[in-house]
Amino acid sequence: MKPEDVLKFSLADFTYNDSDGVLNPPEDFNAWIQDPRVATAMSFFEQPLHNSPKPRTELSGGHLGKRRPVINLTSYNYLGLSTHPEVVQAAAQALMHYGVGASGAAMLSGTFDQHVLLAQELAAFKGQDACMLFSSGYGGNLGAIQGLLQKGDVLVVDSKCHRSVVDGATLSGAKMVSFAHNDAASLDETLARHAGKRRMVVVEGVYSMDGDVANLPALLDVCDAHDVPLYLDEAHSSLVYGETGRGLGEHFGVEDRIGVHFGTLSKAFGGVGGFVCGEASIMRYLKCYAASFQFSCALPPAIVAAMRKSLEVATRDNTLREKLWANVRHFRSNLIAMGLDIGESTSQVIPIIVGSSGEQLIELAMAAQERGLYLQPIDFPAVEAHSRRFRISVSAQLSAADIDEASNIIEDVIARPLGLVGAA
Amino acid sequence: MTKEEIIEIIKKHLKDNLDDIDIDTVSADSSMRDYGANSLDMIEVVSATMRELKIRVPRSELADVQTIDALAAKFLEHVE
Ligand SMILES: Cc1ncc(COP(=O)(O)O)c(C=O)c1O
Repeated sequence: MKPEDVLKFSLADFTYNDSDGVLNPPEDFNAWIQDPRVATAMSFFEQPLHNSPKPRTELSGGHLGKRRPVINLTSYNYLGLSTHPEVVQAAAQALMHYGVGASGAAMLSGTFDQHVLLAQELAAFKGQDACMLFSSGYGGNLGAIQGLLQKGDVLVVDSKCHRSVVDGATLSGAKMVSFAHNDAASLDETLARHAGKRRMVVVEGVYSMDGDVANLPALLDVCDAHDVPLYLDEAHSSLVYGETGRGLGEHFGVEDRIGVHFGTLSKAFGGVGGFVCGEASIMRYLKCYAASFQFSCALPPAIVAAMRKSLEVATRDNTLREKLWANVRHFRSNLIAMGLDIGESTSQVIPIIVGSSGEQLIELAMAAQERGLYLQPIDFPAVEAHSRRFRISVSAQLSAADIDEASNIIEDVIARPLGLVGAA
Repeated sequence: MTKEEIIEIIKKHLKDNLDDIDIDTVSADSSMRDYGANSLDMIEVVSATMRELKIRVPRSELADVQTIDALAAKFLEHVE
């Protein structure tokens, strides 16, 4: 690899390893990742937080290294439940009572009374017969899709679906085909092309890199016309969308048309874990065949107790949701006023699309770090090469002053260098 | 090496990765997607072809490539 080519390469280029042994990473990968320019870009990954995922926290690592105070725009703690006093208290009490780990898979010794109660409460919340819990959201999609589909089936996914969905398809042996993002006509055509096969469609509530939402009514019309069930991944929309926080299905009033409801406990819920809700017979079957459910330790009981409290706090009234949406409106209008490109976002996930230059993205990201903003750059291949970006996760915890301070920094270190403001 | 030879290599790997494809009907002016390839299949075909050609073309440069013909043309630029 010539030095001038180094920055043209990305993590997408080294999945194949041509070396003799499996324990020898590719030589050109080793050289690439140690190039100082690449190392700087990589330094944005795995920066340790030294305090809770609140708007004001502490970070080390990155090109600055040292521990420093930051304004956090990156954590998924949308409603602030990870640090909510009642949730923390519930976790602490359960921790003292149950100890640290579940010490077993759910089917054997890993189910505690807390797991049974959370599953019942989530099913009731979603208006479904039954719910099953997974140790992670990734494992939930992986296991549910692997358990439902088999070789010969066709999984039809939105082209922007999460890796956990793709991996579930691979594991199931089903053929996976994608349709153009959020495009009902493309879905229709794709389903028609695979008519006669057992099919399932997967879409997400809020798309995690773009912050746009599924056009559920139109997509469901197509699913219904083909008599194919829809699996809805509400990872980023649970507790955020809908009158009572049930998600995008509630928002559009289409919950009874959805075949399988998936969610994670790692985002608005503020904890960790995945869940799937649906008809009792489907859940009963899935529990017996979803490998990630059967062959992995259950969630720690203290986390489960905390998630019950998160659900209670987030659904007893709309205070946190209203605060979140007020913050989303505030932040959006600041960003739009600066002329920044926030793509199709309409949710609490707001990208700032910078363009095709990876070098520029990293330069801007370094400047943001230097001004005390914790705002992660998202580079190719996580997003398309022409739309490299930053991504803001708005949280209900942000004060209006936090949002304005963060916006001022964004104006200085992103909008001005992009030539959008400041000429005046 | 000619572009036509590269197209044949791409087609060979396309056939290896898609069960239900009639390779004789594949037109180089189409996208692999038109024959039912998903994103994982395409990564597989591109990787296998590059390995056979002993080249490494950055994926970021392939983002705008729409057809098998254009892919072969891009690869040809990198073949010694
Ligand atoms: C759409 C979507 N589904 C599933 C997951 C996996 O969830 P978790 O991070 O809780 O494992 C994520 C988040 O990473 C996601 O964005």
